[in-house]
Amino acid sequence: MTSRAVSYQRLMRQVAIALASVVLLVWTVFPFVWILLTSLKSPGDIISVPPTFIFTPTVDNYAALVVGEQRGQYASTRPDFPRYFLNSMIISMGAVALSVAAGIPAAYALARFKFPGKNALAFVLLSFRFVPFIAFVIPLYILYQRFGLYNTHAGLILAYQLITLPFTVWMLRSFFMEIPMEIQEAAKIDGCSWLGVLGRVILPLSAPGISVTVILGFMFCWNAFNYPLMLAGRQTFPVTVGAIQFISYEQVLWGQMAAATIVAALPQLLLSLMVQKYIVRGLTMGAVK
Amino acid sequence: MTTPRSRRRRRERFLPYLLLAPALILLVGMLYPFGLGIYYSLTSYWLQYPNRFRFVWFDNYVDLLGEPLFVRALEFTIGFTLVAVAVQVGLGLAVALFLHARIPGRSAIRALMLMPLMIPPVITALMWKIMMASTNAGILNYVLSFIGVDPINWFGSTQGAIVSVLIIDTWGNLPFVALILLGGLQAIPTEPYEAALVDGAGPVAMLRYVTLPLLSPFIVLAVTFRAMDSLRIFDVIYATTAGGPNDATTNLQIMAYQYSFQWYQMGKGMAQAIVLLLLVVMVSYLLMRLWNRASESTQ
Amino acid sequence: MRLQRQWRYGLLLTGIFIVGGWLSAFAQDDHTLAYYRQAKINWRQAEGQSLTIGLNKHPFTESLLPLIPEFRRLTGINVEYLILPENEYFTKLVADLSQQRGEFSVIMTGPMRNWQYVPPDWIVPLDDFLNNPNLTDRGWFNLEDFYTALIAANRWNGKTGGGVGEGPLYSIPVLEESYILAYRKDIFDQYSIKVPTTLDEMAEAARQVKKNAGIAGIVARGTPAIGTVATGFISGLKGYTDGQWKELDDKLAANLHDPRSVKYTEAWVTMVRESGPPNWANMQWYDAMEAFTAGQGGMIADADFFAANYEDPKKSKIAGKVGYTLIPTGAGGNPHSGLWTWALGISKAAKNKEAAWLFVQWATSQSTLLNATINYRNYNPSRASITNDPRVQEIMGAWGGGSYLKTVAKNLETARVAWIPQPERTRLGDIWARALHEVYFQRMPAADALKKASGEVDKVLKEAGIKP
Repeated sequence: MTSRAVSYQRLMRQVAIALASVVLLVWTVFPFVWILLTSLKSPGDIISVPPTFIFTPTVDNYAALVVGEQRGQYASTRPDFPRYFLNSMIISMGAVALSVAAGIPAAYALARFKFPGKNALAFVLLSFRFVPFIAFVIPLYILYQRFGLYNTHAGLILAYQLITLPFTVWMLRSFFMEIPMEIQEAAKIDGCSWLGVLGRVILPLSAPGISVTVILGFMFCWNAFNYPLMLAGRQTFPVTVGAIQFISYEQVLWGQMAAATIVAALPQLLLSLMVQKYIVRGLTMGAVK
Repeated sequence: MTTPRSRRRRRERFLPYLLLAPALILLVGMLYPFGLGIYYSLTSYWLQYPNRFRFVWFDNYVDLLGEPLFVRALEFTIGFTLVAVAVQVGLGLAVALFLHARIPGRSAIRALMLMPLMIPPVITALMWKIMMASTNAGILNYVLSFIGVDPINWFGSTQGAIVSVLIIDTWGNLPFVALILLGGLQAIPTEPYEAALVDGAGPVAMLRYVTLPLLSPFIVLAVTFRAMDSLRIFDVIYATTAGGPNDATTNLQIMAYQYSFQWYQMGKGMAQAIVLLLLVVMVSYLLMRLWNRASESTQ
Repeated sequence: MRLQRQWRYGLLLTGIFIVGGWLSAFAQDDHTLAYYRQAKINWRQAEGQSLTIGLNKHPFTESLLPLIPEFRRLTGINVEYLILPENEYFTKLVADLSQQRGEFSVIMTGPMRNWQYVPPDWIVPLDDFLNNPNLTDRGWFNLEDFYTALIAANRWNGKTGGGVGEGPLYSIPVLEESYILAYRKDIFDQYSIKVPTTLDEMAEAARQVKKNAGIAGIVARGTPAIGTVATGFISGLKGYTDGQWKELDDKLAANLHDPRSVKYTEAWVTMVRESGPPNWANMQWYDAMEAFTAGQGGMIADADFFAANYEDPKKSKIAGKVGYTLIPTGAGGNPHSGLWTWALGISKAAKNKEAAWLFVQWATSQSTLLNATINYRNYNPSRASITNDPRVQEIMGAWGGGSYLKTVAKNLETARVAWIPQPERTRLGDIWARALHEVYFQRMPAADALKKASGEVDKVLKEAGIKP
């Protein structure tokens, strides 16, 4: 092959790669960009046909989230958004913390011990995640009302275990199984009890996996909609339920909904940037035993 | 006589159960509402007619079989899952292979890939709904018009609605699949590739005989995740088509929601939810067996 | 030395500001509460109690929110509120009412919704509160100021199949919604299109608009839910049959497949399929309204007060270009528009019913509702005095060059709740709308689809024990 043909091939390959990268990027990021643009548009621009890319941006939508008075255009929205944000934080962090606290010992047991009923228990734990939320929500609502758990952070944190606990146990079990037996044996010979092995060997070594589990669990909690809709009241609504309040009776406040979405996505964005390195490794670390 | 050693051994036998206890207690607490849900599915519980509440055994389930909408919903649930999983895992594999190759900017792309997961599905669906307006008022059609495509009736036609839901669901979950498969690719050691190269294998053969077999546990993992979620997909459909048009996008979860939350016929709604649960459990059991086999074969 | 004096001056100024602010708050207080203090009742009789209000996201509720602190100053009652969009609101409301936990004391409801809440005894009649001189100053409250049709709509004697307008009053209306036809006067004038007075003329006009102006001739709600049939569709059908057709006959058997209904449905669905927007089947109320407001439709037969959006120059592309007329009827010639009111009611499980009534009385008083209309676009007013207020007349009188007010006034002469009272009205409407989809997508002819729908309705009514 002549050198010109080779470099032509290489050029085509590079162009193809660049094109594919661009398509992938645009596909992934464009809706996000569109939401961002919408959050900066005034209402007239939002419903204009054809859609506009060039417009005068406004921060009214963001201001409305915090301050509540929409300048001139709409009826006022209440400044509840900061409270919803705080609720999301409390509930998501609480739920993940509880899941990890209960999940670490459970995952350790499933990873390192042999005992009767192990596989059955593992399957049962996992299958809780698969129950359609409808089968739970109304009975939970009724029970929560009776036991005073309705509209409480604690009640929501408990309910969210349905979302995070099976996932956490399953992920952590995989990571724990990754750690070679030799290191654990060595620790035992050194005189560590099972607790010592857990604390001194397993946890530090699976730290990246734990971070990934925490992040993903946090994201699942943050995005939950159906449970908090029924089980929370105004004081405990998270941002997901808060965001749909922009659908009013005579109009839909798309701009503000977009702004709320952007703000609500920020914590997750930050978190994932922080542990970006570990995510890919962590997601699959335990897939092969 | 109990020696310290045998006492320790006995303690060790109970230890795993103790360790599992907190997690199990938390979840067992959930069994009570679940049991209540099952109980309701065996009754004629209808919120606004409290005095018509009776135990009806399996009537709700039997009636379901005769309900034409149920058959359609079941078809759609299974059909959508098959297509969605195939599309998402297939595309995910392509993207993972692409990102695995040493292309410039791939760490940036990888970082951005997680973004769709950060927006709640309800909001994703609403925003896509605006973008997919059926005339050129929608940004998607507007952009497509530049390459000469006529405006597509995304949500107003039955086929369009199914495709739209598929697109939105894929957008939201493709990154997840791609990242899982990418991790799998990175976990494959280099020896098999070197051996294959020595044997004179080309890229396609390597893909077929080295990559895919070694990647199979991860593929099954991705398939499992997506299958479980696709069977129960709700938020996207609820926010865009609410099961329409003409019941084209109604799956079992949507149907159960309609019966329970729109028409307050709890007995029937719960029965539908339980049927869906049985379906999901069956599929997950099968997939779990598959995963066991796949992991063992790669050892 | 100088620093100390500066500190002292600062302190003095701050003190003056604080006292001044405090005093002015009281002055404001007295001024805004003066109207309410005219009522010869003791507003503070439920002092210290708490209320939770369930509200639908709506301009009226938006208008209430800034006034809640005022209510607290007036009565000493603590108010909490929960606001959600319509679908989610009703889900949560019914869940609460069915458990009778009393999470919501005051609720937002309406005539047809009450039919679901009255049989299981979930809400309380308001007449006792109205007639109690300790709780209500009837002269001041002036129930007669409300349009008669609206008050009648919120009365029901509890009998399935009839009795709207008689019996206890279950909720106080805060707005009026009837259904009219809004059309693009500029397009109609430009192409000499006749303003339709019959269904056939409407189909023809839609065709003309689509052909000449290139936009959808008509936009309408189309989701497979009750909203699609509950506004313009059923009003047109009632007019078409001169008010004679009803969705349930005297024996409560479903009558959706009546030949007149079949003919109307065929014509209407054909019109929407030929000249309507491509995504009709997925259009929610706001899609249809926004499409018209963005200039993408020639006509819309829906809620009258949407005009507030059409005529808002800040976000409407068609402000000043809209004409308003009655929804076309058949040969009979009389409009038979449906009617809806959002209204405030009280839950049976409310722990502080007197406090709840004080809130309802305050929220539906003339001053509160006037403020809601003028400053928060709560249309159409449910009190005649508000409609006749010069400021409101100025705003609403400008719509459609005066044709809006004229049309609505004529509409209200005959507008009535369009449905037969029974608890499964929503379900019936949902089934009906799905039948429309079968026709629209040409899976079944109208006669078959509607017959199937009637069968489903009969089955539901039987299961619910409504029909013997």
